[in-house]
Amino acid sequence: MNSYVLKRLVQIIPTFLAVMLLVFLLVRLLPGDPASAVLGDRATAEIVERTNRELGLDRPLAVQFGLFVQRLVQGDLGDSISLKVPVLRLIAERLPVTLFLSVYAAVLGVLMAVPLAVLAAVRRNTWVDALIRGVFQVGLSLPVFYVALQLLTLLGARLGWFPIGGYGESFTDHLYHLFLPALTLGLNLAAVLVRTLRNSVIEVLTAEYVSFARAKGLRSRVIMTRHVLRNALIATVTLLGLNIGGLIGGAVITESVFAIPGVGRLMVDAIFGRDYPVIQGLTLTFALVVSLVFLITDLIHSRLDPRVELS
Amino acid sequence: MNRLSQAALTLVAALSVSQAMAATRGGQLVYGRYADSLFLDPVLNDANLDIWILTNLYDTLLQPTADGKGVQPGLASRYVASSDGKTLTLTLRPGLKFADGSALTGADVKWSLDRARKPDAGAWSSSLASIDTIAVSGSTVTLRLKRPDPTLPAALATFNAGIMPQKLFTAAPGKNDAEKAKAFAEKPIGSGAFVLSEWKRGSYMVLKRNPYYWKKGDDGKALPYLDSVRFEIIPDDNTRILKLQAGELQGAEFIPLSRVAELKRNPALDMELFPSTKVNSILMNNRPTLKSGADNPLSDVRVRQALNYATNKEALIQVVTYGTGKPMTSYMSSTTPLFDTAQKGFPYDLAKAKALLAASKYKGGFEISVLATSGSADDLALLTALQQMWAAVGVRLKIEQVDAATKTARYRANDFQMRTAAWTNDINDPSQITSYYALFDNIESVHTGFKSAEIDKLFAQSQQELSRITRASQYRRIQSLYAAAAPIIYLYETPYPVALSKKVNGFVQIPLGNNIFSATWLTK
Repeated sequence: MNSYVLKRLVQIIPTFLAVMLLVFLLVRLLPGDPASAVLGDRATAEIVERTNRELGLDRPLAVQFGLFVQRLVQGDLGDSISLKVPVLRLIAERLPVTLFLSVYAAVLGVLMAVPLAVLAAVRRNTWVDALIRGVFQVGLSLPVFYVALQLLTLLGARLGWFPIGGYGESFTDHLYHLFLPALTLGLNLAAVLVRTLRNSVIEVLTAEYVSFARAKGLRSRVIMTRHVLRNALIATVTLLGLNIGGLIGGAVITESVFAIPGVGRLMVDAIFGRDYPVIQGLTLTFALVVSLVFLITDLIHSRLDPRVELS
Repeated sequence: MNRLSQAALTLVAALSVSQAMAATRGGQLVYGRYADSLFLDPVLNDANLDIWILTNLYDTLLQPTADGKGVQPGLASRYVASSDGKTLTLTLRPGLKFADGSALTGADVKWSLDRARKPDAGAWSSSLASIDTIAVSGSTVTLRLKRPDPTLPAALATFNAGIMPQKLFTAAPGKNDAEKAKAFAEKPIGSGAFVLSEWKRGSYMVLKRNPYYWKKGDDGKALPYLDSVRFEIIPDDNTRILKLQAGELQGAEFIPLSRVAELKRNPALDMELFPSTKVNSILMNNRPTLKSGADNPLSDVRVRQALNYATNKEALIQVVTYGTGKPMTSYMSSTTPLFDTAQKGFPYDLAKAKALLAASKYKGGFEISVLATSGSADDLALLTALQQMWAAVGVRLKIEQVDAATKTARYRANDFQMRTAAWTNDINDPSQITSYYALFDNIESVHTGFKSAEIDKLFAQSQQELSRITRASQYRRIQSLYAAAAPIIYLYETPYPVALSKKVNGFVQIPLGNNIFSATWLTK
């Protein structure tokens, strides 16, 4: 098991290198350059040229890439061109915010999805099932920004239950401030999970070993938690893992609407500002986080399903 | 009602007004910004996001007036130009201090201006280029000039000429000026009304009152009235407005013009439309051939004039600015000094447009493409309206939506036919916009390729002309010549829309965009 984890961690390295090269080249393929973006429309050609020279962007691509790798090995992602602070510091400040939001959303999503999916499965093909599936189907088809704004308007502005945007100062304050954005993302996640989980619960419920457990006289609650859910969750865990990766990337819109200082917003600003070091640093961070989430998902998967062998 | 009771009522009304006007001290104003500042050094950065904060942190020797038309004393209580215009003598106020309590001296002034005018210092050094030497004696600062420069007082009232504490700056860690600036800008100390006390990037920024500020309030005590201003970064327009309506903010900038009427109806809010120097136009490529080598219909002045006449500004003002704009009649805004009120611009005249096109070789019409910023609802509303207006004269407008950086890159390479553009002045003088819009040698007249020998000559003269009357006549001629050549499509001027809680008093955003919080106070 430990050797498996180690092996997987080592496997991340080539992925990491490929992402590094790819993003390095891709940002430079984008039209426009950082100097122009920072200096705006009014700058003269000489000032743009001078700034590009100061940033080392006039040097051959291979040299730039070499310097980038050399710095990276020393644990330095460079400085943001527009903000003039180290990229590592920016990520260290902003990543925890996005991770907090993503985990929060995942927890809320699972808390909503599991009971409702089980209920829908147990009461399958009744109005309860139809209602649960219908509501989430609608939820899934609504754009995230729309749901976010409706929640803000109703629960924030009209009822005044939650603050309108922001991040807060302490842990409980974060929980309070991030409730609406986490709910927005959580609803979306729950919508995906309910569908899969309901189907797997139904599948397991009709399996022979469940009928056998029932015949043994086990209480239905025990059957549900020990046999049905455990088996039904296998597929869902994988889906959840995939979606947490998506949550981190998808926090962009939510972070803008709810004024949350996370990496999603940082990335959008960096792309518009052609802030190469920030784009590169963030992409590498995303790649790392997603790789780790996948690894953890696989580990949980193997725990839930002993048939899965880690090798 | 008899005379006496009428007089009594008037007196009561006057008293209650004057009572309501008495500023109360203390409190925090929470203000919603659409984006965070980037880098708080007055010399090395020039984004509005920084400038509008910088002017609260660093005071200048002179200051722009609130109407945007002139300058008034700042750190210098008076300034005198010599009769030959080649010397400017400024007198510093007595007892000036930086926000840390250390004295602000003539040496700080000399050092700050020397730093700002170094030719490779930022994009703004040219505004101080006429200065030859700076001499300091006690509280007297003497600027000797290479040539008479009527724009210098305005330049001394502009953010890049902010006075910084030499000792603190040079003591900041770093090998060179750029590195020291990076370190100093993290915790800047200036002599403005406020001082940065906390900055959580992307989230909020707190400015505390500078206890050593020189300017006095109506009560005879030092300004500012507020204890602090907290800027919350809220990029989403709707969220900013919701937060204001819920009372979590007392002010919010960049209210979408589409929501102005609605917020005006809200009894708890003051929906302010501060006059700005913002002009919105469409830049045209005036060159005979395009980057692709194709013929360019816009090289014909009649075509450019025709499109201007075919543009119904009043309709656009209703559709795009929801009635908040006013037609441009010059390339500079009506709030710019030396704006010529006699300018007519291009009143909507379809018959004239058709006649002009008929006289050109494009009487059958043509297709033309315009670069728009993708995701900009304003650009899209404007251009789809123009599509219909110009279709009436046989011109088919193709809208090309690209992101801002791509738009800038194509513009810089002169690879465009038309593009949407907006401009605001940073300095209280017409020379800035003129050098960008009308002078080929700067950036090819905002990359239109327009060039006029007469404008070049008039501009050069105006840069040394000490008589305001003569200078005004030079600018009148420049504005007329520019309109006749029509290198751009004249659209409209738009205000700065700021929504404030009714409790906020004395806040002003001046036409240059500076947010003035120094005399702002909150009703308890």
